[in-house]
Amino acid sequence: MSDWLLVDGARRLLADTCTHEVVQAAESDGWSAVAWEAIAGAGYGSLAELPVSDALAVLAVAGEYAAPVPLADGLLAGWLLGEPVAAPVAVAPANDLRLLDGRLSGRALRVPWGHAVEHVLAVVDGTAVLVGVASAAGVERQVNLAGEPRDSLLFEEAEPEVVHPAACDLLERGALTRVALISGALTGMARLTVAYAAERRQFGRPIAAFQAVQRHLVDITQDASLVAAAADGAARLPGLFEIAAAKVLASSAAVSATRAAHQVHGAMGMTQEYRLHHFTRRLWAWRHEYGDERHWASQLGGAVAAAGAQRLYPAVTSGSQVV
Amino acid sequence: MLFAPADLTDAELELQREVREFLAEELPRGTFDPGLGMGAPRDRAFSARLAGRGWLGMALPTRYGGHDRSAVDRFVVTEELLRWGAPVGHHWVADRQTGPIINRFGSEEQKQRFLPPICRGELSFAIGMSEPEAGSDLAAVRTRATPVDGGWVVNGTKVWTSGAHASDWFVVLCRTGDSTEDRHAGLSQLIVDLASDGLTITPIPFLSGHRDFNEVALEDVFVPHELVLGAVGGGWAQNTSELAHERGGPERWLSTYLVLEELVRSRPGLFDGERARLALGDAVARLWGMRRMSLSVARMIDAGEAPSVQSALVKEMATRFEQDLLERIQELIALEPLGEGDSLFERLLFEAVLSAPSFTVRGGTNEILRSVAAKGLGSL
Repeated sequence: MSDWLLVDGARRLLADTCTHEVVQAAESDGWSAVAWEAIAGAGYGSLAELPVSDALAVLAVAGEYAAPVPLADGLLAGWLLGEPVAAPVAVAPANDLRLLDGRLSGRALRVPWGHAVEHVLAVVDGTAVLVGVASAAGVERQVNLAGEPRDSLLFEEAEPEVVHPAACDLLERGALTRVALISGALTGMARLTVAYAAERRQFGRPIAAFQAVQRHLVDITQDASLVAAAADGAARLPGLFEIAAAKVLASSAAVSATRAAHQVHGAMGMTQEYRLHHFTRRLWAWRHEYGDERHWASQLGGAVAAAGAQRLYPAVTSGSQVV
Repeated sequence: MLFAPADLTDAELELQREVREFLAEELPRGTFDPGLGMGAPRDRAFSARLAGRGWLGMALPTRYGGHDRSAVDRFVVTEELLRWGAPVGHHWVADRQTGPIINRFGSEEQKQRFLPPICRGELSFAIGMSEPEAGSDLAAVRTRATPVDGGWVVNGTKVWTSGAHASDWFVVLCRTGDSTEDRHAGLSQLIVDLASDGLTITPIPFLSGHRDFNEVALEDVFVPHELVLGAVGGGWAQNTSELAHERGGPERWLSTYLVLEELVRSRPGLFDGERARLALGDAVARLWGMRRMSLSVARMIDAGEAPSVQSALVKEMATRFEQDLLERIQELIALEPLGEGDSLFERLLFEAVLSAPSFTVRGGTNEILRSVAAKGLGSL
């Protein structure tokens, strides 16, 4: 179980900080100093100091409030280096970097808030390399489906600050962070959608009174509950089996639950002024990051098939302790 | 959070290991015809051996022959039996729901009379809820009990009564009072001997050819006062509580599991291909995740909560998965299964395809479950 006080503190902080206006402004400005200072100032900027399950529980809260800050990246960078890293730091999910004679050249790709953070961490041939963004020769700004920066940083013989054998697997641990974010976002989206359906009236009744709408509400709740259960399982025992299974469920739910939530909200859900898109667009982006549902289903299917029929059910109950 | 996180304790894992050892010794693979989940065959002797290990009536009090154990312990045992395809048919209904509701609502005399033989795996029960005009709308039951000297006389017809022909008793939901504006008032539950005079059991063959389904006609069947379960007129609330025992357990996601396991066993080369890996990975991920939700439901029951919304959410989702899994498997192998097929895989697939439509109907249709769940979402 995660630390309740810690998670509750994060919930109150993020609910206060990540208002609709702040999240909107973060998108148009490409960075939210307001949100970052409030969150980092309260001690939540560097989650890698926490036990894994606590850190992931806080990350889920960040997803629940669409926090426009690189909390997941700070956590991931700390895991990869084996020790906490000064925030704000971002992790490059992909790169074509080379490390030659201690100098770093090439591009770090799709870096979250790459232009705004102080450091970026990339994994080059199994080595975690931390480098200052200020030492980049160029920054190409891009945004993902959620309007969050995913920048390309060009390095030309830059001098890394830390070079260390990667302490964990980038794809696995990256997926683990996205599972937590997706789980939180599904929770927030489910709450928003159930509340909207109870308030919005058509034909003289709340639309939640219609069975066709109820079906969507149930689907969303099932998706959110399934992913929460999976995120918890992966946080307790973050092995390949659990991470793969959790990301399969999280990425699949990101597709089905957003579709249902948009359907319930009708035209209102298509507007910037209403909060739904803060959840649905992030879910569409996180679905793909660090392996989508097909990538991880293939990994998981290959692993359990190799283990054989005899161990199939033990794998369902005990995961990576068996497979 | 709707579903509190749940894992097994060391003691529960030890129980799981014991059940696995027992099954590997009692029913080695290849020496018996496994069944599909709770649709597995009846085997009185097997039920007695389970009882000998203390694995029937687990959550019932020791003074009535039970074992004072938890809903999670029962979850662990049931899960292993179902995924193994063990013949659970004889004790299934009594162990899952009749025992618990007699323990909860029954008189002291009823508990002493029925619970010990249930825990020994002797007595078999069926469910007397549905009628021709009362399927999902159970409050529409017309079977009527009329007061007479010493008890009640029951008239009416129950249908779709699984296992009535092979069971000893069934619990009948019937009308004991006049219809009022409150359709749920005036209903009661009676414990009825299936060998009673005036009671006729007629098979209703299943579309698969199985003869487990029955019509049970009651014509002036006498039921003594002492076999009224709980309060006269309290039947609706009791019946709702009974249905909660039917929902959210491992039987709701394991009905087609063995088809998948046999596919992996009999065609390992299939999984060199990407499509098969995707299907297997997705299925295993869902089994793992839904199992955690279902375990959470059992924990809530042990904590004294009434997780009816959670149970409905799990059952609705898991039974759809059971059906989807069959489709994914059939897409992979492009084989029309034959009833007397060469392999266990083919026979299980045949059986599963023919019974699959019932998964989302039995124990409350998915439409009813969605309605139960949606009503609860507002208050959570």
